[in-house]
Amino acid sequence: MIDQVLLAAVLAAPLLGAIASLAGRSDRVRYVLVLPICLVTLSLALTLIARVLANGPVSGFGNWLYLDDLDAVVLLVVVVVSTMSGAYSIAYFRSDAQGHVLRPGELRKYFGLFHLFTLTMVLATVSGNLILLWTGVTATTFAAAPLVDFYGSHEPLEAAWKFLVLAVAGELIALLGFLLLYESGIGSLGSSYNFSIPIMEQAGPHLEASLGAIGFLMVLVGFGAKAGLAPMHTWLPDAHSQAPAPVCAMLSGAELNCAMLAIVRVLSLVTPANRAGAVGLHEALLAFGLLSMVVGVVFLISQRNFKRLLAYSSVEQMGVIAAGFGIGAPVAALGALLQMITHSLAKSLMFFNSGNLLLRFRTTTIAEVRQVIRIAPASAILIIAGALAIAGAPPFGLFVSEFTIIRGALINHAWAVAGGMAAILLVAFLALMEPFNRMVFGEGKEMSSHPRSELGFLVLAPGYILLAAVLVLGLWIPGPLHSLLVGASQVVQR
Amino acid sequence: MLAEVILSALLLLVTYWFIVTRRLRSAVSAYSVQSWLLGFISILLYLDTGLIELLLFGLLIVAVKGILIPQLLRRRVAFALVAGRETAYYVRFPTALLIGAGLSLLGLLAGSRVPYHLQLLPESVLGISLAVFLLGLFTTIARRDAIMQVTGLLAAENGLLLLSLVVAPRLSLLIEIAIVMDVLIAVLVMGFLVARMRDELAGTDTSELSRLRG
Repeated sequence: MIDQVLLAAVLAAPLLGAIASLAGRSDRVRYVLVLPICLVTLSLALTLIARVLANGPVSGFGNWLYLDDLDAVVLLVVVVVSTMSGAYSIAYFRSDAQGHVLRPGELRKYFGLFHLFTLTMVLATVSGNLILLWTGVTATTFAAAPLVDFYGSHEPLEAAWKFLVLAVAGELIALLGFLLLYESGIGSLGSSYNFSIPIMEQAGPHLEASLGAIGFLMVLVGFGAKAGLAPMHTWLPDAHSQAPAPVCAMLSGAELNCAMLAIVRVLSLVTPANRAGAVGLHEALLAFGLLSMVVGVVFLISQRNFKRLLAYSSVEQMGVIAAGFGIGAPVAALGALLQMITHSLAKSLMFFNSGNLLLRFRTTTIAEVRQVIRIAPASAILIIAGALAIAGAPPFGLFVSEFTIIRGALINHAWAVAGGMAAILLVAFLALMEPFNRMVFGEGKEMSSHPRSELGFLVLAPGYILLAAVLVLGLWIPGPLHSLLVGASQVVQR
Repeated sequence: MLAEVILSALLLLVTYWFIVTRRLRSAVSAYSVQSWLLGFISILLYLDTGLIELLLFGLLIVAVKGILIPQLLRRRVAFALVAGRETAYYVRFPTALLIGAGLSLLGLLAGSRVPYHLQLLPESVLGISLAVFLLGLFTTIARRDAIMQVTGLLAAENGLLLLSLVVAPRLSLLIEIAIVMDVLIAVLVMGFLVARMRDELAGTDTSELSRLRG
């Protein structure tokens, strides 16, 4: 009973936030409401996760809603990133008022959609019915696309349109996959059954292997587009270069993971039946992952726009996560789950940094930003530390998670995969560090006219919190988080 | 069962109209006809089986996809017509016809290979639904006009709903409602962006959306 209430409440909180933001009379109401709504959602989510840790999966409303360890990892990511983005949004739009004059109604649209975006992502994680899972992941696009178009000129429109068309096409392909998955259960569960995660898990080996396999491949291709996997990633750099920085953090930090959750979920459901069959489902995921890593790194090199640079880094990182799940070793899956968390923290931090640079320098071109260390030292420290974190340098969390994934590949005797991943990650490290290093320490004559002026405390605070978190995760993984990750990796590797 | 198969075949024929038409308005009408046919199939299945969900589903499709969404699209078409060039393809027209024919053949063949459980509709409808799905996606990829792209996605979605009637006619009505509502919201958001194109591009030719590179 209490679980049911909590599951409903964690959806109701962002919904209330959206309604209040859309109906509120003044922008002050919207500013004041963001953090309380985010914090309520966060604490409800943490309570739910604690209950999952204590008593196993929670479900409600006839399995329409369901949360197990795997969902809980992504739910954690979603609520943390959303809370940080909410806090950063307030500071960002208050400071941005000098550069971009907000038209009346713009903040109403922004915060209304912001809460709806959070709602759809929470729905994707707490859904138990698989079509509801599809609906949640799909609906994220409808909240995100108008946010990508927020600045409302030619380029944002272009980015939003490409995103919307590609994502909806992908979602339809994924829906085909889910319908085939339903069909795969008819033989053992009857023609009218509860199409939910626990029921499908029980049916496990009795699902029809070939239908399940085709279904998974459809979901992989369809939601792969939303998860930023190459070659369906083309919307991602465009959308990330045009959206406001806090929206980029939500897209890269949270939304990509929701799509990945759906892919991994379906993989975990169809794997038991596929044991005897020879269809290489994990191999398909691994192939998409490695391809995304290569494509991401190729476009990292010689990138001229730092927001696009970060977007291609997301393509590469989602590739790492997909490869981690695709390797098929429990250790690698554990690493991929940890990578979901560490990457979200570090990438949100870097997109906040991109927003800070935009606020200070009014550009996203790498060549036009120099000497940040002299002009704004506190921002510069955040940029360099964040770049080290996202590039996977020790002692940050991404080093641990990437190392764990490669260790998983070695345990599985996948030497080529391990070697290839290590090589790509090394190149990515250099390709990421070089431009940020130039921006922070590089000499630039025209920069001497910039007076030294630091951004406000509130703009920097969310970034420093994220930096602390990703640093701590590199040194020490708290007990509850560890058992959550282990539980989730067992769900993945049933 | 024969009536449903004939209606499905008609549905596929209407889908070809998306490939050949030169007018946005007629594409929207084709979508409307397609949705009505889909609704009728569901209602006919209700008459065969007495499953009340199928009746409600059919009525929902007619109301939302047969009437409401075409109405929303027609409002957007009104200004797109001014710009002209609405029929343009990214590929040559004969090539588009050939690809369309190939895709429908592929869908029909794939449908005959899917190991499925006979429920209310025969295997041939499964192939038809896959062909409609592929033709819809192809329209989205190959057409340059934004509204044509939207109707293509909607046509593909109709193919999937037909597929759901084949493989899962007893799927819970709530699920079907979720899918249909999802599409309605998609149309609203796309309509919003199409309206923005009026301001930015003075038309709906998406080939002009090509500034972002790298």
